[in-house]
Amino acid sequence: MPPMHEMVIAQNILDIVREEMAARQCTRLVRIGLECGALSGVEPESLRLSLEALLDGGPWAEAGLELRVIPLRLRCFSCGTVFGGESGQDALWQPCPRCGEQFGHTVEQGKELRISHLEAS
Amino acid sequence: MQIPVVRNVLEANEKLADQVRARLDAGKILALNLISSPGAGKTTLLERTLADLSGEFRMAVIEGDLQTDNDARRVAATGAQAVQINTEGGCHLNSSMILQALDNISLDGLDILFIENVGNLVCPVEFDCGEDAKIALLSVAEGDDKPEKYPLLFNLARAMLLNKIDLLPHVDFDVQRARNFATRLNRELAIFEVSCRNGQGLTGWYDWLRAMRQAKLEGRLTRPER
Repeated sequence: MPPMHEMVIAQNILDIVREEMAARQCTRLVRIGLECGALSGVEPESLRLSLEALLDGGPWAEAGLELRVIPLRLRCFSCGTVFGGESGQDALWQPCPRCGEQFGHTVEQGKELRISHLEAS
Repeated sequence: MQIPVVRNVLEANEKLADQVRARLDAGKILALNLISSPGAGKTTLLERTLADLSGEFRMAVIEGDLQTDNDARRVAATGAQAVQINTEGGCHLNSSMILQALDNISLDGLDILFIENVGNLVCPVEFDCGEDAKIALLSVAEGDDKPEKYPLLFNLARAMLLNKIDLLPHVDFDVQRARNFATRLNRELAIFEVSCRNGQGLTGWYDWLRAMRQAKLEGRLTRPER
């Protein structure tokens, strides 16, 4: 098994999925809905491969992954304007579109790594 | 049937990190998580720091390595307590490893605990180890665009050490560029230009450690973001 950290993250995801499935007495898993922030450091394709590898040969081998990347949104340090929202990490290096401030913006959105929903029965 | 769940994928690690934090807080022990690429100088920084401040603080180190206990032996040679964690190929330390390591450290009277993470700028950043602060170490032998390429680390760190500045005449590293991008992400970031080889610039780092230790004693340290 590759030691990449997406594999560890995939294991964490499946631990939660198993818990939620058991709590709801579900047995059939169709899809895992996942939200991952642009700044979260997770490479979506590696995560997909890791999950496939872990599910392979088990009862949920056919389960799909619905992965939504949450774009970065920053709050300007000086004037509080919220900006960003385009894909990738570009917003990090842009000055505030309203006042031009370059330094110290806070990340409002884009660090998330969470399961949003399961499709199961 | 679609079932809304909304659970943080890293919640298991973060729960254990909070247990680490509670144990260290009880002893008012300052915990610092050192993160860098392989070869940036984490162990050398620790050797220097442990030797230079041995009269002032009681310090211990948790050493994370893929293989071998070479670093733990280097650190232990300074007289500090050192515990080795071999991750057997794993790319980062996690809070469960730290919790186990704490059982092998005498926390009584300890002032500062350093966690030397596995050399890697991506994975260790996401796994909270229960520290008070992450420290980013970057050497001028690497690219000056590291803060642009690995923004999360520089966003979350409380201090950045720019190491090997004795090499500056021989490399194309643009200090201003690295400082500039790191500060864009983190206005509060304390930056120190140092050479762990010849000791240059280390007094600023030591003063920062003293201030952090004092803040920890007085309960003034805010919980780090993650």
